[in-house]
Amino acid sequence: MEFSHYAPLWGEALLTILAVLVVLLGSLMKNSGKLMGYLSAAGLVAALALVASNLTIKPTLFFFDTISVDALSQFFKVVFLVVSLLVVIASMSKYTGKGADEYFALLLFATVGMMVVSSSVDIITLFVGFELASLSTYALAAFDRSKKNLEAAMKYFIFGSVASAFMLFGFSLLYGMAGSTHLVDIAAASLANFGPATLVALLFVIVGFGFKMALVPFHMWAPDTYEGAPPLVSALLAAGSKKMGFVAAFRVILIALVALRMEWYMAFAILAAVTMTLGNLAACWQNNVRRILAYSSIAQAGYIAIAFVVVGAAYGAAPVNVLNMGPIRADQLGIAGALLLILGHALMKTGAFIGTALVASNVSKESETDPDDISNYAGLAKRAPITAFCMLIFMFALAGIPPTAGYIGKFVLFSSAIYSGLVWLAVLAILNSALSLVYYLRIISYMYLKEAAGPKIKEQKGYVVALILTLLAVVWIGVFPEAFINWAMQAAAVLLPQ
Amino acid sequence: MISNAISLLIAIPLLGAVLSFYAGTKAKFVALIASLIPLALSLQMYLEFDKTSKIMQFVESYNWVPSLGVKYTVGIDGIGFPLVLLSTIVSVLVIIYSWGETKKPNQYFALLLLNEVGVLGVFTSLDFFLFYIFWEIVLIPMFFLIGSWGGPRKDYAAVKFFIYTHVASLVMLLAIFALYFTYQMPDGSRTFDMLTLLAATADKTIFPTSMLNIIFASLLLGFLVKMPAFPFHTWLPDAHVEAPTAGSVVLAALLLKMGGYGLFRVILPMLPHVDKAFVTIIAIIAVISIVYGAFMALAQKDIKKLVAYSSVSHMGFVTLGAVAFTWMSVTGAMFQQFSHGIITCVLFMSAGTIQHVVGTRVIADLGGLADRMPKFAVIMMAGFMASLGLPGMSGFVAEFMVLTGSFATLPVYTMIVVFLSVVTTAAYHLWAMQKAMFGPILKKYMNVHEPHAYELFSMAMIIVLSLIFGLQPGLITDIMGTAATQVMEPVMTLTQMGVI
Repeated sequence: MEFSHYAPLWGEALLTILAVLVVLLGSLMKNSGKLMGYLSAAGLVAALALVASNLTIKPTLFFFDTISVDALSQFFKVVFLVVSLLVVIASMSKYTGKGADEYFALLLFATVGMMVVSSSVDIITLFVGFELASLSTYALAAFDRSKKNLEAAMKYFIFGSVASAFMLFGFSLLYGMAGSTHLVDIAAASLANFGPATLVALLFVIVGFGFKMALVPFHMWAPDTYEGAPPLVSALLAAGSKKMGFVAAFRVILIALVALRMEWYMAFAILAAVTMTLGNLAACWQNNVRRILAYSSIAQAGYIAIAFVVVGAAYGAAPVNVLNMGPIRADQLGIAGALLLILGHALMKTGAFIGTALVASNVSKESETDPDDISNYAGLAKRAPITAFCMLIFMFALAGIPPTAGYIGKFVLFSSAIYSGLVWLAVLAILNSALSLVYYLRIISYMYLKEAAGPKIKEQKGYVVALILTLLAVVWIGVFPEAFINWAMQAAAVLLPQ
Repeated sequence: MISNAISLLIAIPLLGAVLSFYAGTKAKFVALIASLIPLALSLQMYLEFDKTSKIMQFVESYNWVPSLGVKYTVGIDGIGFPLVLLSTIVSVLVIIYSWGETKKPNQYFALLLLNEVGVLGVFTSLDFFLFYIFWEIVLIPMFFLIGSWGGPRKDYAAVKFFIYTHVASLVMLLAIFALYFTYQMPDGSRTFDMLTLLAATADKTIFPTSMLNIIFASLLLGFLVKMPAFPFHTWLPDAHVEAPTAGSVVLAALLLKMGGYGLFRVILPMLPHVDKAFVTIIAIIAVISIVYGAFMALAQKDIKKLVAYSSVSHMGFVTLGAVAFTWMSVTGAMFQQFSHGIITCVLFMSAGTIQHVVGTRVIADLGGLADRMPKFAVIMMAGFMASLGLPGMSGFVAEFMVLTGSFATLPVYTMIVVFLSVVTTAAYHLWAMQKAMFGPILKKYMNVHEPHAYELFSMAMIIVLSLIFGLQPGLITDIMGTAATQVMEPVMTLTQMGVI
C-alpha cells in the first residue's frame, strides 16, 4: 500500500499531527500563543487546499471500508474547515497568552473529529469521531474558566453524554440486529428483518442525534451553552459541531435506516415543524443576543430537518423536470437544499458569533452587566462600524433576504418540499422566515437606531479580518449561487441509490 | 441609442450611494451628481422611447441562476417608464431640498440614493425574483431614514413600517412562488419571467380559477398595503409623521407608487381570469380609501398627517381607475400615479419647511405666515391647489380622466366619490391653507423668515412640472395610453366579463 493511496485523507492526518505539535511546542516555548495561532491557521488553510483538491471525488473507501471520501464528506469538511479557520483567525486577537496552545490544539482536534464523522460509513468510526469532537468542545466550552463558562460546559457535557449514551445504545441494537457495523450491511439487515428492535434503535438514534442537532424538544442545552461558553467557541458549536450532527444523521438515517422511512418521515415532519416554530417564537422574547442567535440556530435546524421529511416522502421517486436542472429527483433536491442551508448558516452564524465575541470582549471591561445583553448593542454602528455593518448583513442573510447566502438554501429546500407534496411544510417554513425577521430586526434597530451606549470601541484585527472574510463569503454565495447549487446536488447524490 | 441604459440607471445611484457614504460632508455634491446623471439618462431615454410601441423597450436579459430559472431581465414600457421618470425627477429634487441636512449627511444621502436604486429596480424588473429583491431593498433605506432621522416616536414607526410592509410582501412572495411552481414552460423548465407567467394565468387548464383567486388575492394584498388602501393604511400616518421630510417625500412620491405599479403590471392582466367579485371588492376599497382619506384629512390637527391622509385619498383614485377598466380610466389612473407623485412632494416639503421654520406643524397654532414668508406661501398655495384638483394643473387632468372613465363602468361608485370627496378634498386643503398661512399674523411669528433658497427652488420646480403636465398631459399620457391599450387589448371589457 503506497503512501499516496491515502492522499484524500492527508488533510485529517496533517491536522492531527499539527494538533499534537501545537501542544508539544506550547509546553516547550513560553509566550508562544501568537505563533500557535498562525500555525493552526496555516494548517487549516493547507487542509482546506488538500480537501479542495478532491472536491467531487468518486466515493473511495479506506481502512476496511469504514471511511468513505466522497462528495458529501468533502462538502462537510469544507464547511468545518472554513468555520474552524474563521474561528482561529478571530481567536488570534483573544488567545495570545498562556493556554493558547491548548486552545488551538483542542480546536484542531475538534475539527479532525468532525471531519472523521463526515467520512464515516461505519457506526464505530462515527462514534469515535463524534466523541473526539464532543470531548474537545466540552473542554473548549469551559475554556475561559468563568462561572458562566463552567455552567455552560457542565450542561453541555451532561446533555452531550446522555445523547451519546442514547446514540450508542441505538448503535448496539443495530449491531445486534445486523451483525455488522457497516452502514450498508445495517441497511440490508434492517430491510430483511424489520422488527421492534429496529424501531427502538431508530428511536434512540433520533434522540441521540436530535440532541446534537438541537431539535425541539432536545434543544434545552443549546441556548444555555451558546450563551455561557466563550463566544468564539459558541461559533464553533453552532456552526461546526451542530452540523456534524446533521452529517451523522444523514448517513445513519438516510442510508442505514432507509427501510424505516415511513416511521422517521412522520417523526421528522413533526420535529421540523415544531422546531422551527418554537425556535423562532422563543427568539422573539430573548434579551441576550447570544440567546437570540441560539434560538435562531434552533429554528434553522428545523428548516434543515425538512430534508428528512422530503426524502421520506419522495424516496426513489422518478426524476422529474423540476427547476431548470433537467430531470432531477425531489429527494436529491431536498438534501441539496439542506446542504446549501448548512453551508450558508455555518458562515452566517460564525460571523454573527464572532461579532458578539468582539462586543463582549470590549464591553465586559466597562460594565458589570451581562456583556451579551442587547442593550450593549445600542448604537453599535457608531461604536464599532465595521462589526455593526457585518452583523447587519448577517442578520439579513439569516432572515433569508436575497441576494445573500441565506436565501439560496431556503429556496432550494422549500422548493423540494413543494415538489414532494409537502406544501404545508413549505408554507409554514416561509411564514417562519418572516417571523424570524422580527428578532433580527430588533438587533439591527438596536445597532443602528439607538443612541450609543458608550465610547467607540477598538475593533481588534483578528476579529475584523474574520468578519470581513465571512461577509465576502456570504455575499459571494448569494450573488453567484449556481456553482454551489451544482456542488450540493453532487454531494446529495452520495446519500441516494443511483 | 444608449446600450444597457436601464442597468446604468440602476448602477449609477448605487455607486453614488457607496461614494457618498465615504464622502463625509461632501456627500451632498456626490449625491446630486449621482442623481443628475440618471435624470439626464432617463430624459434621453424619453427622447428615444417609441411611444406607439406596445412591446418592452430597452430590454436587457442575462442568466443569473439558470438552475432556478432566475434571470436578470429589465425593460420598460408605458407602465414603467413614466414612473422611472418620476423617480429620477423626484430623487434630484429631494436631494436639493435636503441640501442643509447636517445630521450624518453622508449616510442620509447614501440612503436617499439607495432608495432610488430600489424603486428604479422595481419599475424596470421583468423577472419576479429580481422584482421581489428590489421590492425588499426599498424597505431598508426607508427603515433607516425613519429610524435615524425621524421624530420622537421614530423607533416605533420604523419597526411598524418594516414589519407591516414586509409581511405584505411575504404574502406576495408566496403568490409568486405559487405562479412559479405551477407553470412549466413548453420545454419543461421553470421561469420567473413576469410577462410569461402573467400571460399563462389566462390558461384555465394550468391555473384553475379557484387557485388563481388565491394567488390573485395574495398579490393584491401585497400591492394594496403598499399603496396603501383602506383598511391596510394604518402604517402610513405613523411612518409619515415620524419620517424626516425627505423620507416622507420619497415615501409618498415613490414608494406608494410601487403598489400602484403592481396593480397595472400584475393585477390588471389577471383581473379578467379571476372571480368577478374581485372587481366589486377592489372598487369598494378604492371608494372607501378616497372618501375615508378625505374625511380623515379634514379631522387632522397636524398638517403632515393631513397630507398623509390626502395621499390615501388620492391613491384611491389610482385603484378606482384601474379597476374600472376602461381605456380612459386606466390611463387616468396611471397619470394620477405620476401626478400625485410630483404634487405630494410639494405638500410634504411645505409641511417640513413649516416645521423647521416655525417649530410646529399643528395647524391650530399657526396663522398668518404668508405675511412673513410670501414666496413660500405662493408656492405652497399652488401646491395645495394642484392637490385639490385645480384645472390647469396635473392633478385635475388625472382625476378628471379617472372619474370620466370610471363613470362608464362603475357609475354608482363614481357618483359616491364625486358627491362625498370632491367638496371634502377642497375643504381640507383650503381650511389648512387659510388657517396656517393667511389671516392676521400671530405675534410670536413676527421674526419668522423665508426658508432657504434650495427649498424654495425644489418646491417651485414641482409647481412648474405640475403646470407643464397639467397643460400638456399628452407629453406623458401618450405613453400611458399605449400601455393602457396593451393591458386591455387581450381581454374583455367589464361588460363582457359580466360584471355590469
